[in-house]
Amino acid sequence: MGLGQVIARRLTLMVLVLVGVTLLTFLIAHAIPGDPARLLAGQRASDEVVAQIRRNYGLDQPLPVQYVRYMSGLLQGDLGRSIRTGRPVAEDLARFFPATLELVATAMFLAVVIGVPLGVASAARNNSWVDHLSRGVSVAGVSMPLFWFGLVALAILYGKLGWLPGSGRLSPFGLAPPAVTGLYLIDAALARNWDTWRDALVHLIMPAGCLAFVHVGVVARQVRGSLLEVLHQDYIRTARAYGVPPRRVLYRYALRNALVPTLTVVGLALGDLLAGAVVTETVFAWPGMGSYVVDSISSLDFPAIMGFTVVVAVGYSVINLLVDLVTLRLDPRIRAMG
Amino acid sequence: MTGIAMRRRTVVGRVLALVLSVLLNVLPGVLPGLAGDGLVLAATPRDVLVIGIAGDVDNLDPHVTMTNRSWAVTYPAYQRLVRYKVQDGIGSTEVEPDLATGWTVSDDGLVWTFTLRTTARFADGTPVNAHAVVYSFNRLLAIGEGPADAFPTLAEVEAVDDYTVRFTLSEPFAPFLLTLANNGAAIINPRLEEHAAGDLGRGYLAEHTMGSGPFQVELWEKDQQIRLVPNPYYDGPAPVFRMVVFLVIKDPSARRLQLERGDIDIAEALPLDQLELLRTRPGVRVEDYPSLRVTYLYLNNQRSPLSDPRVRQAISYAVDYDAIIAGVMLGNAVQMRGPVPQGMWSHDPDLFQYRRDLDKARALLREAGLSGGLRLGYLYSPVYPEWEQIGLALQAQLAEVGIQLELQPYAYATMRAMLGDGEFDIAVGNWTPDFADPFMFMNYWFDSANGGLPGNRSFYSNPEVDRLIRHAAVVTDIDERTRLYREAQHIVVDEAAYVYLYQQNYQVAMRDNVVGYVFNPMLVDIFNVDTMSKR
Repeated sequence: MGLGQVIARRLTLMVLVLVGVTLLTFLIAHAIPGDPARLLAGQRASDEVVAQIRRNYGLDQPLPVQYVRYMSGLLQGDLGRSIRTGRPVAEDLARFFPATLELVATAMFLAVVIGVPLGVASAARNNSWVDHLSRGVSVAGVSMPLFWFGLVALAILYGKLGWLPGSGRLSPFGLAPPAVTGLYLIDAALARNWDTWRDALVHLIMPAGCLAFVHVGVVARQVRGSLLEVLHQDYIRTARAYGVPPRRVLYRYALRNALVPTLTVVGLALGDLLAGAVVTETVFAWPGMGSYVVDSISSLDFPAIMGFTVVVAVGYSVINLLVDLVTLRLDPRIRAMG
Repeated sequence: MTGIAMRRRTVVGRVLALVLSVLLNVLPGVLPGLAGDGLVLAATPRDVLVIGIAGDVDNLDPHVTMTNRSWAVTYPAYQRLVRYKVQDGIGSTEVEPDLATGWTVSDDGLVWTFTLRTTARFADGTPVNAHAVVYSFNRLLAIGEGPADAFPTLAEVEAVDDYTVRFTLSEPFAPFLLTLANNGAAIINPRLEEHAAGDLGRGYLAEHTMGSGPFQVELWEKDQQIRLVPNPYYDGPAPVFRMVVFLVIKDPSARRLQLERGDIDIAEALPLDQLELLRTRPGVRVEDYPSLRVTYLYLNNQRSPLSDPRVRQAISYAVDYDAIIAGVMLGNAVQMRGPVPQGMWSHDPDLFQYRRDLDKARALLREAGLSGGLRLGYLYSPVYPEWEQIGLALQAQLAEVGIQLELQPYAYATMRAMLGDGEFDIAVGNWTPDFADPFMFMNYWFDSANGGLPGNRSFYSNPEVDRLIRHAAVVTDIDERTRLYREAQHIVVDEAAYVYLYQQNYQVAMRDNVVGYVFNPMLVDIFNVDTMSKR
């Protein structure tokens, strides 16, 4: 099967997944007892007021009608209007998504850059102190609750030492760089505004670091496991017998194959990172999608919940498609199987 | 060891050493330098006030929003016909002229005529006149959401001349004058029409302010901060602050830390344990004020056996009020004496107050034929941590008279739906008045026509009480109203329509150089930023 066919098939599947996800989310969100119009109307609104709000947001229509309306809007790129903020959901998400992307991408980058060498070191020196240290770090990362770890980091690095700022993406008096990508590090660099760039960087370190810490362990353990398995295979022994330099064996022959399953894990970890971002964003007052959706859920803001789900589902599907494509590139056997 | 293994070890060791050295040595050394001294450690400038808030504002439209958090931003951005008095540095629940210079009311209480100040200007220089008042109230009623609820009988608003405006009510409504100090009674610049786009300007006003108050919104970075700057045309004394920043910091511990370090000047909504901790810290001040915010239990009067007043009285006798105030509120509350709290007129300091008396409670249950014990549910939501603690305390206390209490936690939205449908035995709630009138307690809580979420959460029904409170809502004489409300209070306390738990103290933590804060029980979490300053 050619690459084009693979992509076409995956895209078709993606559409089906999206229809399923939106339908499920829609049903679950509406199955929760509770009335967003009542929440919006305040503590003690009269029934007329609530009915008026319900009409304003089309909540008085039967569920199937609401769903069809929503989907036909979605096909035209319209995610509806948030009940809580009164703004178009697309506008809200466009505002919050880059912050989450910047946080998650940085955390992912850190997790890979630290996790892969740690896993390699661990596998190459199986059962040495490096291995024990790496495994200790992994277990600590995986088992420590993120909010607790975040609060401890905050108390020490901000509260006690004052090395890093405590909240937000920029200092309160700092101005966001002109929006191009919405990622402050990139936008500030494009605008050659290095003060803002530094400000954005110091604000990013602690939240991204905490989020990464959890996943360093996941990545390191995966690399270690796969690498150990690969290192015991015949072709590695053959290579060593031929006198191939050990570095070349490790990095060129073994690691490349060990990275295939790691890549899949990293792809899946992105889902975790998004979930973890919700917690991180709360602790560090990071204005991303995570805290937006938490607020939306607690006020039963259906359009916002749906919009978030659609964006995450699309993002997740696209990332997994990319992971598959890279895997195809790395492992010719999969290509052959189709 | 073979040469290969050694070399492998060197490579791996080098990578690891690099990673570790970056983590342990380079970052801590570089970061403070990167951050710069002014960035992380500085206290806020003297002419800027930074308030740490627990969540983002939802909507800035005063005719739509019903949250105190939004009001904190909109209240100083708009003016109203009247405002709350400040007497000797203490906020009063009585009102005085603001945009209005005076008013007259017809004998039947239906027609109110206000004369306006001629010097007030909106933030773009447009004069505030009678047409702006008419425009604002027509818009409030046309939108018809939460804030309009405070004006149930407002029929017509018309401009008599440029600076005289007449309100006509369809029926007398005694609290009318007081409701004009509400956030929803804000006077809006009619030039909003230029942004209206067929939606009454809702889209625009949700994100901008168009008022005549001392401040206006300059910038709103969603979920990050809102900045207020002075209105250049404000006709009152110029504020000291050139900027007020509301900084969104959702986690309470993070908010506390930032206050301690001086990155924010005021921290809103801190939990009691964090406040206790802060009292011992240098540079920070925690202020306590008696508030009108009460916490009470709804007893579903429609459901057996709570439909029997004796069972409700028994529960009222079984509750250990002092233990709940000491254990849950750490002493920061006083037991309620009837539904109308201290500090609100018509509160009766001699009214009967239930105290714990287990013998009386058991006797009442026996009389009601329930000596064999009974099971009841306690509906709450984890949004307020104290609600669960109250539930746990009640569980132990009611068990002593043979009532088994089952805790029923639900998401807030679900809990509200169940309250509205009367699907509960006992539930817990907080209540804060929107305008300074006992109407907010008596008519909302006890009028049988308000059953469920609108206010009568116990579904209490007594024709005599209905008669008294409905009459009190239309007579204008305050002594007569006080008499009527007190009479009704005697009945609803005797019949134990609710369990009247406690009236909370309001606490706010700020840096000790912040001066001039005036607490007003009607304006909880709303700061008088135009008259505050820093030493």
